Formats: sequence, C-alpha cells, structure tokens
Amino acid sequence: MTTDVSTTAPKTPLPLAPAKRKKSKETEVGRSGAMTWVWNTVALVVAVVMAFPIYWMIITTFKTNRDLISKDPTFWPSSFSLDSYRTIFDDDQFLPSLGHTLVLTLGAVVLGVAVGFLAAVGVARFNFRGRNFFIVTMLVVQMVPLLAIIIPLFVVMNSLNMTGGLFGVILAYLVFTVPYVIWTLRSFIVNIPAELDEAAMVDGCTQWGAFFRVILPLTLPGLITTSVYSWIQAWNEFIVAKTLLGTSGMNTSMTWLTFYSTTPTRGADYGAQMAGGLLVSLPVIILFVFFQKKVSAGLTAGAVKG
Amino acid sequence: MSVTTNETVTRSENQGPAPTGKPQRRGFFAAGHYIPYTLLLPAVVVLAGVLAYPLYRLIDLAFQNVNKYALLVHPERAKYVGFDGFSRVFGDSEFWEVVLRSIYFTAELVILSMVLSMALALLLNRVSNWVRVTVITVMMFVWSIPALVNGQVFRWLFSPQGGVVDYIAYLVTGDESWKNYDWFADAHVGLYVVGAAVVIWGALPFLVLGLYAALTQVPKELMEAAKLDGANSFQAFRNVTLPVIRPFLMISTALSFIWDFQVFAQIFALRNTSPEPGYRTIGTYLYMQGIVASRYSEASVISIAMIVMMLAVLVYYIRQMLKIGANER
Repeated sequence: MTTDVSTTAPKTPLPLAPAKRKKSKETEVGRSGAMTWVWNTVALVVAVVMAFPIYWMIITTFKTNRDLISKDPTFWPSSFSLDSYRTIFDDDQFLPSLGHTLVLTLGAVVLGVAVGFLAAVGVARFNFRGRNFFIVTMLVVQMVPLLAIIIPLFVVMNSLNMTGGLFGVILAYLVFTVPYVIWTLRSFIVNIPAELDEAAMVDGCTQWGAFFRVILPLTLPGLITTSVYSWIQAWNEFIVAKTLLGTSGMNTSMTWLTFYSTTPTRGADYGAQMAGGLLVSLPVIILFVFFQKKVSAGLTAGAVKG
Repeated sequence: MSVTTNETVTRSENQGPAPTGKPQRRGFFAAGHYIPYTLLLPAVVVLAGVLAYPLYRLIDLAFQNVNKYALLVHPERAKYVGFDGFSRVFGDSEFWEVVLRSIYFTAELVILSMVLSMALALLLNRVSNWVRVTVITVMMFVWSIPALVNGQVFRWLFSPQGGVVDYIAYLVTGDESWKNYDWFADAHVGLYVVGAAVVIWGALPFLVLGLYAALTQVPKELMEAAKLDGANSFQAFRNVTLPVIRPFLMISTALSFIWDFQVFAQIFALRNTSPEPGYRTIGTYLYMQGIVASRYSEASVISIAMIVMMLAVLVYYIRQMLKIGANER
C-alpha cells in the first residue's frame, strides 16, 4: 500500500492517512493490521535466531556428558546436571583469575574516569590555547587499534619490569578508557549551563562548593554511563592482559577461558567451556540488565561523539 | 548568550584576573589561566605514557632487528637496520594475502552488518510493542556477551562433532552428509561464513538499537507530510528518513569499519587460539607474528601498516566528525 508514485501531478492521496486503523498508539501511518502481523512474525523469527546461540550456550552447561557426546545433539537435556559448573569451580585457576579481572577492571574504571573527568571539565568549561587540538587528538586516539600498539606496550612494560603485574595492565587499559571518558563526559558537561554554577556562587558557594554541589551531581549520569562502559571494556579485554601477563602464569577470566579451551584434557569439554564462558560473562550481563537504558544511550552517545 | 551581565557578577564574586570576555570562561572556572592545563595534565601524562611513547617505540622498533625475545631483553644488542624490516614484510607474499583478506572480510562484515541492521531497525518500527520489547531484550543479552565468548560459542555451534548447526542442516535437508560437516576444513568457509556470522551476530545489537533510536528521531509530521505529497515508502525513506539518520549512519559505518578491520578475539577463539594461515586477517596475523613468533620489529612494521590503512579510510570520517562537532557548540 501507499505506493502511488505521483511526483508530477499531485493526486489526492488524502484518504490514505485517515483510513489507517489504529490498533495501538504506536501504529505507524498507513500500516494495516495484517501487515503488522506479518512483520511481527518476521521479527520473532529474527529474535529466535539471534537468541539461539545464547540458548544453546546455556542449555549445554546443564547437559550430562552422555548428552554432550551423543551423535545427535538434543535441543533439551534428557536430564539436568551441574557437572559442568562443578568442573569450573573445581578449577583452582577460576577464582584467582576472576579476582585479577576484578582488580584490573576496578583499577581501570576508577583511574580512567577520574583522569578523564578532570580533562573533560577542562575542555568543556574553558577556552584555552590548544583546546581544539586536544579534542581532535582524543578523537583520533580512539581510532588507534589497541592491537597495533600491543607490541610496543609489551616492549615498554617489559623494560620497566611491569609485565606480569596487574598494575601495568591497568595502565595499559587507560589507552582506551581515558579518551572515551573525556569525549563522552565533555558533552555531558557542556550541556550543564554555566549560569548554574554562577548562580550557586552568587548564593555564596565557593568555587569548590559549586563544583561539588552543582557540576558533580549533574554529571553523575554521565559518570555512571562512562564507568559502566569502561567496566565492560576492561572486563572483556584480553589481548593486552594475555600479552602482558603471559609470562607470569597469571590469568584474567578471559585469558583463563582461552587457556581452558586449548589444553588437551579439557579441550573437548564444551559443557565446562560454556559454563565458564557464561560465568565470566555474568558480571557484564548483570550490568546490562541494570543499566540497560544507560548503556545503550551512553554507548550511542559515546559513539556519536566518537 | 548574554555574556556581559553574567561576567560582572562573576568578576565581583571571585577576585581572579578579569575575564577577557571569552564565552567559555564563565561560571565556576572563570579565574586563572592555568586551571585548564592543570585539569588536562593527568590525562596528558597518562596518554603520553601509554600511547605516545609506545607509538614512538613502535616506529623505533620498525627500524630495528628485534626479532627474537633475546634481543628484547638485551636491547644493547639490537641494531638499526633501516628499511630492511619494511622490505622484508612487504616482500612477503603472505603479508599481501593477509591485507587482501582483511579488506574482503572487512567489506563483507561492514556491508552485511549495516544492511541487516538497517532492515531490522526498520522492522522494529513496524511491529507491535510486545514484539519490539522481545527483540530488544534478546539484543541486549547478545550485546552483553564478550567477543571472546562469542567465538567459543560459535565454535561449539559449528563443531564438526556434535555441532548443532550441522544437525539443523540435516534436519532441514534430510541429507545425512550434513552431519559432521566440517565448517572449518576450508578456511574460506570458516572465515567468510562462520567468522562473519560471529562478528555480525555480536555487532547487530549495537547497530540495530542505535539505528532504531535514530529512526525514532524522524519527526512523524515530516513522514506524514511526505505521504500526503504522494511519496511512496522508498521515496519517503530516501528523502525524509535518510537525511535525519545520516549522522548516526555514518558514524556507525565508521565504527563498524574500525571494529571489523581489527577483529581479533572472535577469530582467535573460533580457531582455538591458533588461527591457521587461512584465517589470518591483519589482527590475527599481527598477533601471531609479534607475540607468538616474537618477531617484534616485523610486527611493528605490520602495526604501522595497519594504522596507516585505517587512518587513510578514516580521514574522511574525521573530517565529517569535525563538522558535526563544530555544529554542536
């Protein structure tokens, strides 16, 4: 419907618009109920296809060994077993690597957001020589592939004896947290009217008072968004962690996971691998569930701004 | 902006140097020229340390012969060899194969993921509310799975032993030979089908939700006006929707390019941490050469090539971003 191409002589397509049936408030102009039904079906098929890998991952973790090695995969386990999870928790590397990841992530988030916040205030509230250069640099810096500087990072950290330690990895993570935080928070702070801090100072606040009572609270949503994003980035990162921690035998959750799938004895244990993968993803999944709106809004905001 | 009135207030409140009338230096931080530099200092120091200096070392290494670990720990034995490293890397046919493969693979990923996500975003605009919520919920979960885990899950899905995709193919076609079909035996299939599937599956949520959000920004009145003027769906899309979502479309295409060109984790996990030559795009190639084979200098050359290739494509994007940034203020 609505396919009358009349560019030259405007007919009177007026009846089209009022003729629409309003099934719900959301119904678009000129969409019939029957078409909605078709689109619904298509969308649900897409949802099933998209969800299937996750479903398969979860269902695998509960399968018994017999189900796992059976010739024909079963779409529902014949009986539920927690063996895969037992294997993971029996692994004496699992919890330490989780601990390392936690330290790395917290470190990268706290340091990255603190350093980035200061700079963001700087570029958002001041006009100074080199400001545009700095902003553009932050934009370009975000495009340098982490992989491309992994070699010199390793070389530099190695000469400083910082490979094999968590601190070196935290510092390395600032490569991606700091530019992102600056770029995203900047747009948050720009949107806080300068009149607000002026008014606070007129009312008797000191500069720092205005900062803590006006700017900081108003930037809070931005701080949360950037923290969540930095958290996800750092939690999921593994090339840097693997490279810098490689020689020490220290693991993060992600490097532990790769190690887990390659060792000959465990290589074929897909049940345990999926359980491990799921457990390692859990913190990120929870963050997404809690901050759903903020994550998508923040990531797109960050993306739009670079 | 009424600069003057506010300025007098600020000036009387704090006895810093008189503002010179630049609009940005108002409010809280009206005093002191040194403040912005102080605020920027930590970021500059950090980025100089973890980015600028390593970038310098990257170029430095590219001209040296540090191609084994021993030379890395004994830098005094390293020698400058000029462009030897460059000619060795660029003279290697595998390098060019990798570059070409990266270009094909990136093009495939960017085009497919943009087309698919655009289609899905438009679809989301047409479905009932509860369906939309369902799809978005699924997307959020897919989004939250780390890339590395994505790779492992798809390795399991496409596994020749007990892989469910083989089994579904068998159920659909009734052909027994689909069972135990090895998707990874031929690297072309493994990379361009399975590899692409992992990356696109993981990339869709961000793109779809972003494009969907952008689509909701299209004013309903404009759409209705277009329809009233007799535009068909395609015309309305081209002349009304597209201009509104163009900024996000451009940016998400550029981001897809950035992510897809340097894709690593998914392929790495998909091939059990040691991708065969046929699976090596520039990211995996770099890792295999640099970290696994300890060829630091040659990997530095590859890194430089990678950065140059990316920037060449992104110059256009950066210019657009600057334009958008200029309009924002």
